[in-house]
Amino acid sequence: MARQGMRLRKGSNMSDCVLVVDDDREIVKAISILLEGEGYEVLKAYDGLQALDILATRQVRLVLIDVMMPKLDGLSAVMRIREKQNIPIIVLSAKSEDTDKVLGLSMGADDYVSKPYNPQELAARVKSQLRRYTLLGDIHTGNCAGEIKNGRLLYRTEEKTLYADGEPIKLTATETNIIDLLMRNLGRVFPAEEIYRRVWNEDAFASENTVMVHIRRIREKVELNPKEPEYIKVVWGIGYKMEKQEKRN
Amino acid sequence: MDTKWKNRKKGISFIIFFAGASLTLAGGIDLAQNLPGDFWRHPDKVLQEDYQQSGRFRDYISGRLEAFLAMATDSYNGYYDNYYDYYDYYGYAYPGISGVAEDEVTIITQQPVQDPLDEIQIPSEELGLSDEELEMYYHELDEYYRKEYELNPDQWYDYWYDYRYDYRYDYSRQDREDSLTDQQREENRKELCKKIAQQYHNSIKRDQNLLYLVAYDGQVLYANSELLDTDGGLTAPEGYNFLLQYADGKVRIIKDGNELDVYGDGYYRDNSEWYVPGYRNFTVDEEMKKAVICIAAAQEPVLYTWSSNARGSYQQMDNSLYWMRYNTLANRKWLISCMVILAIGLALLLMAFLCRKSKREADAAIARFTGKIWFEGKILLGLLFLYSIFLLWITGFSQNYGDFWYEWEYMTAVDYGYDAAYLGRSVTWMLRSLPGWAYVILFWLAYLAVNDLRRNQKVWKHGLTAKLLRTFGARDLRQPLSVRTARRNVAAFAACAVFGLLMLAGGVIGYTQGCHNAETVWGMGCLFFLILVGFLVLQYRIGAKNMEIARDLETLSNRIRDIRNGNYEESGGFAGNDDFAEDNAEKRLAIGNSKSNENNPLAGHDLEDTMAQLEDIRHGMISAVDEQMKSERMKVELIANVSHDIKTPLTSIISYVQFLKEEKELPEHVRDYVKILDEKSQRLKNMVQDVFAVSKAASGELPMHMEKLDFGKLLRQTLADMEEQIEGSRVTFRTEIPESPVMILADGQRMYRVFQNLFQNAIQYSLDGSRVFVTLQTDGSLAVASVKNTSHLELEKGKDFTERFTRGDQSRTDGGSGLGLSIAQSFTEACGGSFSWETNADLFVVTVSFQILDN
Repeated sequence: MARQGMRLRKGSNMSDCVLVVDDDREIVKAISILLEGEGYEVLKAYDGLQALDILATRQVRLVLIDVMMPKLDGLSAVMRIREKQNIPIIVLSAKSEDTDKVLGLSMGADDYVSKPYNPQELAARVKSQLRRYTLLGDIHTGNCAGEIKNGRLLYRTEEKTLYADGEPIKLTATETNIIDLLMRNLGRVFPAEEIYRRVWNEDAFASENTVMVHIRRIREKVELNPKEPEYIKVVWGIGYKMEKQEKRN
Repeated sequence: MDTKWKNRKKGISFIIFFAGASLTLAGGIDLAQNLPGDFWRHPDKVLQEDYQQSGRFRDYISGRLEAFLAMATDSYNGYYDNYYDYYDYYGYAYPGISGVAEDEVTIITQQPVQDPLDEIQIPSEELGLSDEELEMYYHELDEYYRKEYELNPDQWYDYWYDYRYDYRYDYSRQDREDSLTDQQREENRKELCKKIAQQYHNSIKRDQNLLYLVAYDGQVLYANSELLDTDGGLTAPEGYNFLLQYADGKVRIIKDGNELDVYGDGYYRDNSEWYVPGYRNFTVDEEMKKAVICIAAAQEPVLYTWSSNARGSYQQMDNSLYWMRYNTLANRKWLISCMVILAIGLALLLMAFLCRKSKREADAAIARFTGKIWFEGKILLGLLFLYSIFLLWITGFSQNYGDFWYEWEYMTAVDYGYDAAYLGRSVTWMLRSLPGWAYVILFWLAYLAVNDLRRNQKVWKHGLTAKLLRTFGARDLRQPLSVRTARRNVAAFAACAVFGLLMLAGGVIGYTQGCHNAETVWGMGCLFFLILVGFLVLQYRIGAKNMEIARDLETLSNRIRDIRNGNYEESGGFAGNDDFAEDNAEKRLAIGNSKSNENNPLAGHDLEDTMAQLEDIRHGMISAVDEQMKSERMKVELIANVSHDIKTPLTSIISYVQFLKEEKELPEHVRDYVKILDEKSQRLKNMVQDVFAVSKAASGELPMHMEKLDFGKLLRQTLADMEEQIEGSRVTFRTEIPESPVMILADGQRMYRVFQNLFQNAIQYSLDGSRVFVTLQTDGSLAVASVKNTSHLELEKGKDFTERFTRGDQSRTDGGSGLGLSIAQSFTEACGGSFSWETNADLFVVTVSFQILDN
C-alpha cells in the first residue's frame, strides 16, 4: 500500500510505538496505514492474548484495542494491561452506546472511539493521548495556583492561555474571554445571554447566534472532533458549559 | 373424665354467677327501693324498731293534732270524698302552710303492707250524715276553699267540676242558701261542724292506742280516756310512752319520760321534724290558743275491733298506730332480708369471680347455644319477656294501689300531653316502682344479648330475614343491573307510600276515635314505632346500596382512567401479584366466564361483573402490551446485532475509501467512483445509527435525561447550531419565537435531534427560494412549536411521512436515511411531548407540543 499520505508532523516522535489490536485484519491494516502515515511505529495483534504477549516483550507507548475479540476480549485485556502498565489505551468498538463507553472507561481505558471511526479523529486522539503521556507524563500535579486542568485542557489564568495536550492554542480575545469564563466555572451551565453579557459587556439581544458562532470556532481549535464535542457542550434549551472530564482512576 | 369434670365445673361456676348476680340485683334493688325517704338524713335509723321515731308517726300525730284543733274550734277542715270512697281525716287546719315534706309521706312499697291511713276509711252511711247534710258540707267546703284561693264562682266551679259531676247535685240548695242571713249561716256551719266532729270522734275513740283529750276554754269537749286530763302534768299513762300536750298555742312532747326539743331554734323549716303550731313563724290565733289538747300514743299498740250486735256488723277501729308499728317492724325485717340476700349475692359473685375462667367457658357455651337461635326468635323472646314484665308489673301495681291511680296519671298525661319534666318524673317513678325480680330478668336478658353479640359475630346474619335477604340478594345479583336498580327504587317508593298511608290512617284514627285508653295509645305507639323502624331500616339498606354503587363507580372510573393513561398496574385493594392475576385472567378467558374472584374489591356488589370484565380487559391489555414490548425488544436486539455486524465491515470500507480519496494519481472517472463510494458509505453509516436509535426509541429502551428547559432557547440554539447549513441552503428561515422562557420538561439532547432532523428535512425538501417558518406559541398549558415548509415535490396525499424509510421521493437518491421524521416522532414521544404533521397542498407542517411547566 502506497504511503502518499505519510507526513511528518511537528511534535510527533518516530520512536512512538502504537499497538493496534482487532480481530478484523483489514481494520488493523487500515489503522496502521493511517498511523504510520502520521509517523508512528505500529505493532499489530489480532486478539487479546497476542496483545498481552507483545506488550510483555516490546516497549509500547499506546494501545488501540477492539472490544469484541476472540480468546480474550478487549475490556478484559485492558484490565490485564492496567495491572502492569500505565500507558494510554484507546478502546475501539462498534458499540456506540453511552453505557458501553462508560464501561470501557471505567475498566481503565483512557479514551473511547466508536466504529466506524473518522480517520482524522482517530489520529487526533492517538496524538492527543501520546502527547499528554509523553509531555506531561502521568504526573498529576493537581491544580497549581492559577492553573485549571480539565482532561487534556489546561488553562493558565494569569497568562489567560489555554493549552491542549500541553500545546498553547491561539484564541482571539473574545474566545479567550469565553474560555476564561467557562474554565473558571467547570461544569456550570451559562445561558447565552449571560455569556454575552459577561464577555461583551453588553445587554444581550439575539445573542444565541453570536455566542454559537464563537463556540463553534473554539471547538474547532480545541475539540478532537468538533462535530461531537467533548469539552464545550451545548445544554440544549438551557445554555453552554465546559464539561468536567472525569480523571482516570 | 377430665372433660366431664370440666363441664361440671363450667356449669357450677355459671350457676354460682347466676345466683350471685340475681340475688345481688334483687336484694340491692329492693333495698334501694325500700329505704325510708329520710335514709340519707338519718342512715343510722334505717333499722329503727321504735315506730314513734318515724316521719310517718310524726305526720300522723301532727295531723291528729290539727284535726283536734279543728274540732275544738268548730272549723272546717278536710273533706269527705264520696266519689272515690276515700275519707281523708281532718287536715289543713293551718291556712297558708302546706303539708309536710313530700318524701316523708310517699314511700312506695311493693310489699303488701296495709297503709295505716287506709284504716280510717269509713263508708258514707257510717258517717251518719244525710244526703242534704253531706251536700251542705260540700258546699261549705267549696266556699271555704274558694275564699282561700280567691277564685270567682266560675273558676271554682271548673276547678271542682270533676268532683261534682258524678254527684247528684242539688241545685235548688243554692236558692235556699241565698235566702239565709249571715247569722243563720254561721249557726248552720257550727252545727254541721259539731256534727262532723262528733262523727269523727265516734269513729276513732275506740282505738285506745291513741288517747286524746280535746278541751276548749277549760271545758273538755272530746276525750276517749279517763287517763288524760288537761292539767295532769306531763306524765304519760301506764303503757303509753308518748305524750303530746298542746296548750296556749305551744306543744310539748314527752317521750319515754323525757321532754323532746320540738321547736329547735324556734323556726319552722321544710326539714323540721314536727309540723305543729308554736314556732315563731307558725303561730295560731287567739281562738286556737284557748284550746288544750292532749295526745298519748301506746308503746306497743294493739288491734281494736268494735262489734255491734244490734247492727249486725263489726268494725275495725282506726288502729293506725298498730299498723304503723307493724309496718315498721315488717319493713325492718324486709330490709334485713334484703341485706342478707345482697350479702349472699355478693359472696356468690366473689366466688364466681374466683372461678371466672370456667364461667367464661360457660359463657362461650351459652353463646354457642344462643348462636343457633334465629335472630328473629331472639328478638321475639326478648319482647315477650319485656311484655310479660310489663303485665306482671301492672297487675302487681294495680293490686297494691288500685287501678285508678295508674289510669288517672297516665290518661291525663296522654290526653293533655306529656311535658319533658313529667315524662322524666314518670320514668324515674317507673324505674323506682319496677320490682326487683323485673330488674333481674332485664339484667339476664341484657346479659344474654351482650354475651351473644360479643361472642357470636354478626348475630343478625343468622335468621330468617337474613336468610331470605341472602337468597333474594343472590337471585337479585343474577338480574341485570338495571333491573336491580329499578326494583330497589320501586321498593323504596312502595315503602314510602305504605309508611305515608299508615301515618295518614293513624292520624285519621287518632283524630276520629281519640286516644281514650292506655291500650290504644300503647298499642298504636308500639305499632308505629315498629313500622318506623322497619321503614328506616329499609331506607338505610337502599341508601347504603346506592352509596356502595356510587363508591364502586368511582373505583371503576378511576380504574378506567388508569387503564386509559396506560397504567396497567394492580391497584390497591387487588391482592396478589401480576402473575397470579394473569393466570387468573387467562383461566377466565379460557373459560369465557367472568366469575367473581377474591381479588375483586367489588365482590358481592352490584358492579362486580363490570369490574371483573374491566379486569379482564386490563389483563388482556397487559398481555398485549407485554407481547408488543417483547417483540419490540427482540427487534431492538436484532437491530443492535445487525448494526454491529454492519459497522465492522463498514469501518473497513470507510477507512479504505478514505485512503482512495487521498490517492492523487487516479483517473478522473475513478475519482468520481470513489466520491460516490464515499457518499454512500457515509449514508450507510448514518442509516445504521438512525435505525438503531429509532428502534430503541420505539421499544422505550432509550435512556432519557429529562430536565427543565426553555423550549424557545432550544429552538434558537438548534437554529444557531445549524446556521452554516441554513446559510448555505437555498431556503430562508423565518422564526417567531418568544423571548420569554417557555419551560418544558424534556431531554434536551433528544429534542435537539428532533429539531435538527426537522430543519434538515425542511432544508432538504423545500422549494428553492421558499421560506421555512419556525414558530413557537403557547396555547393554554401547551407549548406548540411548528415547522412549516413548502415542498419542492408534490406531496402525496394520505402518505404517512413518519413511517420508517419514507421519503418525499421514492427513488431515494438523497443523502437521508429516511428515518428523520420517524426519529423526530419517537424522540418527541419518548420525551412526553406530542408530535403531529399535516400536509396542505405543498405545505408541510410539523407541530411538536409539550405541557408547559408552571415554574
